[in-house]
Amino acid sequence: MIFSYNWLQSFFKAKLPKPEKLAEFLTMHAFEVGEIKRRAGDFVLNIDILSNRGHDCLCHYGIAREIAAILDRKLNIPKGEKLITKKGELQPVKLKINCPNLVSRYSAIAVEGVKISKSPQWLKKRLGTLGIRSINNIVDLTNFVMLETGQPLHAFDYDKILGKKMVLRRAKKGEKIITLDGVKRDLYEGALIIEDENRLIDLVGIMGGKLSEIDSTTKNIVLQAGSFDRRNIYQATKNLRHSTDASDIYSHGIDPNLTIPALERAYLLLKKIGGGKIVQLIDVYPKKILPLKIKLDLDYVKKLLGIEITSKEIKNMLKRFGFKVVEDLVEAPTLRLDVSIPEDLIEEIGRLYGYQKIKPAFPVASLVPPKRNFELFWENMAKNILKEAGFTEVYNYSFISEEDRKVFKRNNLAEVQNPVSAEQKYLRPSLIPELLKNVKKNQNSVFASSSAGKEIKIFELEKIFKKPKSVEEKRMLSGVIAGDAFYEAKGVVDLLLNKLGISSVWYDEYQPTPEESKLSIWREKRCAEIKTDNEEIGFLGEISPKILGALKIEGRAVVFDIDFEKLQKLASEEQGYQPISAYPAAVRDIAVLVPLFVKVEEVLNQVEFSGGKLIRDVDLFDIYEGEEMPEGKKNFAFHIIYQAEDRTLSSEEIDEIQQKIIEALEENPDWEVRK
Amino acid sequence: MEKIDLKTIKKRSENEFKKAVDLKELDEIFKKYLGKKGEITQILKTLSKLPNERRAKIGKGINELKNFLEEKIEDKKSYFTKATEDKEEWLDITAPGKKPVVGHLHPLTLIKRRIEEIFQAMGFSVVEGPEVETEWYNFDALNIQKDHPARDFWDTLYLKGGNLLRTHTSPVQIRFMEKNEPPFRIIVPGRVFRHEATDAKHEVNFYQVEGLMVGKDVSVANFKAVIQEFLNRFYQKEIKLRLRPSFFPFTEPSFEIDINCIVCGGKGCSTCLGQGWIELMGAGMVHPNVLKNSGLDPRNWQGFAFGMGLDRLAMMKYKINDIRLFYSGDLRFLQQF
Repeated sequence: MIFSYNWLQSFFKAKLPKPEKLAEFLTMHAFEVGEIKRRAGDFVLNIDILSNRGHDCLCHYGIAREIAAILDRKLNIPKGEKLITKKGELQPVKLKINCPNLVSRYSAIAVEGVKISKSPQWLKKRLGTLGIRSINNIVDLTNFVMLETGQPLHAFDYDKILGKKMVLRRAKKGEKIITLDGVKRDLYEGALIIEDENRLIDLVGIMGGKLSEIDSTTKNIVLQAGSFDRRNIYQATKNLRHSTDASDIYSHGIDPNLTIPALERAYLLLKKIGGGKIVQLIDVYPKKILPLKIKLDLDYVKKLLGIEITSKEIKNMLKRFGFKVVEDLVEAPTLRLDVSIPEDLIEEIGRLYGYQKIKPAFPVASLVPPKRNFELFWENMAKNILKEAGFTEVYNYSFISEEDRKVFKRNNLAEVQNPVSAEQKYLRPSLIPELLKNVKKNQNSVFASSSAGKEIKIFELEKIFKKPKSVEEKRMLSGVIAGDAFYEAKGVVDLLLNKLGISSVWYDEYQPTPEESKLSIWREKRCAEIKTDNEEIGFLGEISPKILGALKIEGRAVVFDIDFEKLQKLASEEQGYQPISAYPAAVRDIAVLVPLFVKVEEVLNQVEFSGGKLIRDVDLFDIYEGEEMPEGKKNFAFHIIYQAEDRTLSSEEIDEIQQKIIEALEENPDWEVRK
Repeated sequence: MEKIDLKTIKKRSENEFKKAVDLKELDEIFKKYLGKKGEITQILKTLSKLPNERRAKIGKGINELKNFLEEKIEDKKSYFTKATEDKEEWLDITAPGKKPVVGHLHPLTLIKRRIEEIFQAMGFSVVEGPEVETEWYNFDALNIQKDHPARDFWDTLYLKGGNLLRTHTSPVQIRFMEKNEPPFRIIVPGRVFRHEATDAKHEVNFYQVEGLMVGKDVSVANFKAVIQEFLNRFYQKEIKLRLRPSFFPFTEPSFEIDINCIVCGGKGCSTCLGQGWIELMGAGMVHPNVLKNSGLDPRNWQGFAFGMGLDRLAMMKYKINDIRLFYSGDLRFLQQF
């Protein structure tokens, strides 16, 4: 809210510090002051009133109270005129409150014989400085009193209230009201309104109704100061998507004890600028609000703030804020709705003392080392491994669009009720859609041309969401390599799992049911399930041409998609050491001609099985299919490494095993060992 | 038998070697002395004709001379060959090196690790929590009243069928306190969500780090020391900070922490919008209602809590002007880290 410096000054006899200096005091002890603007012989301060102080500080007198406390100054209380009713011509207004739980106090005066005119210069200037247009003396007066005291007022044209009846009730479904700004508003069911004989004349706490507006012919008025349920006003403004200065204040809730002083203040000014006499005073206040007494323990003040302070100093500070202190009991003024527990008082002491003055002191705590977070440990490790393997880490949005959902044929998604945009309709059920979009984007970007030969290799480790019944979240580790790179990706997965200490990894052919296959994002026959023992921990494969096409990705893309929750449970820091044999190893090569459909693994298994334990390792170093091969055949070439732990193997011994392997391989009539 | 003057031969040959300018000349000299018909070879051939005593004497001398010459010739020869070799083996050391292909970690990962490292060194454990939350943990338990303007601060994304996306990491305070007895100190990094239109400063998802320390007498003074230490280590220099009053429903008292602008040092620049100060985090002393809602007795325990935006820290540290870059997947950006 913006405040006039001169207006603030009007509450003090002595001169206030210069605007910049005053702003600094306020920032460090109460509220942050933003911009300070010079405006026609005055300064305007933009003060960011904290949301727990809207009830008492969205007004000049409220800020003046803060200044008085901070600077330890005496404050001039705005004057008022006692509300004394006189005999008049007007028929009294009959008030009926149908929803007493929404109206904690309703005060109003009926004033007979008001003269509508332009506002005097001083009033115009006060409002003008704050950017408020002057309308007439009565409307300006209500604004002035609200900006000064924080109590919203509203003036009705008495003669426009039909039947001299005012009924406060909740709006019914479908009801409408035309407000002062001429807008016809659909009321939300339950909004607080005032009805006369048969028409809605006020949208309570937010804006008056057009039907009872003050105009140049107005002679008699009803001036209202109410205290209403803050929740009701808050909800109504949310529903109407319209707020006013009054509704801002009411949404925070105000002290019901403010109504009469505000009317008294208004009446004093009204007598000067508009005249008239009070002929009726309404004040419905069924449950009087009394000040709270809070017990404050001196030691606790010291302990919570971490300062040394005397009880005299504390008492003094609290008094500056208008609190009454008797022994260890502190009585808070009723307008301080934000103060109800000792910690609230300690905050007042803390900010007045100055948080700046509190000397830093390291806490005294037992020397317990922090608990190791294994999830985090493995997360860091996995990220490092992939980084070292040449992958770049990306962070993507946690959302996917309706279009993505269709492309990836995903169901059971967690749906956002109030998405910011259509792009963010669902929580992502997989990291893959956005990783693929990253590929597309980088293929398009200058990156592609400016770094020819640079591969797109990216990964993400984040949460995905599924909704079988309730929403479930889990961490996934997924990556993509653009291009025909199945074996490269497989190598990366092997490296990752190996470095995480996960052995017993194998790849199973992914065999989807026809139903699954329709929904699958994988290219048929080019996808594997990554397994440890019998558990599937993820997938590795090429993305189907259909999806690549839909995303307009050039070339192929290979993806690994690993359940990180499972992965980090399997990961282990245990590492065994394999003794290094003191005896030399011997290498023999073997080349096998096999039909095209034979898998490396089948041949490998046969070699290892028939070779026995003197084989230390078998390495596939070449796969060849091509012109020189007989029709329908391909060639595998292996290094077989022989080594014993206790002796040097003789060449006869090795030849014998090698021969055994060859025979075993050739037992299969379609396999031929090339000599 | 003429007298064999080995000394003269040595002197003469040595001179000739010195003068040789290329391999060809060297070869000539070699032939002249050590070739089949060379001077020294000839002498060696005649040795057998000499009487024993003299043969031994001259033989020793001539062999020494032969070895001497051979060594000389080898030296000079390698000198000539090296020169040609060097010319062929020349490297342009200004040509670019061949870089091994390594990847890159996301800048937010780097910042997060740095923060975790500093707080872990001060005994804080790193704890995490769910991103899909209930109203209770995200708001009610944190003393954030329903239908109050204070709640507007957290524009929330709700999920169909109930629950919401956490708007801050603070719900993890409650979840942790429910299961752990004080004293403790934790930090909670994590992804949070806001119902917010995206622009250079706002994102629909971003990262926060929450801190919580609870004990018998943990105070504002303690908070100031811990956070000062953190900032000094994070920026690797002495950072000037200030605490000013603020309001958060889950802390009482509450304050905002500003630091002296790290770009201009407080003079005022475009980063701090001329203020000299940058708003860094919200903090305060844990509200007794929050302790109560977590099952702790506020008469026995007290502590501080704080929360800051990771993206913001990263933006300041790397001078990044648009938060959206973090979530763009643009390799031109990511491969700078």
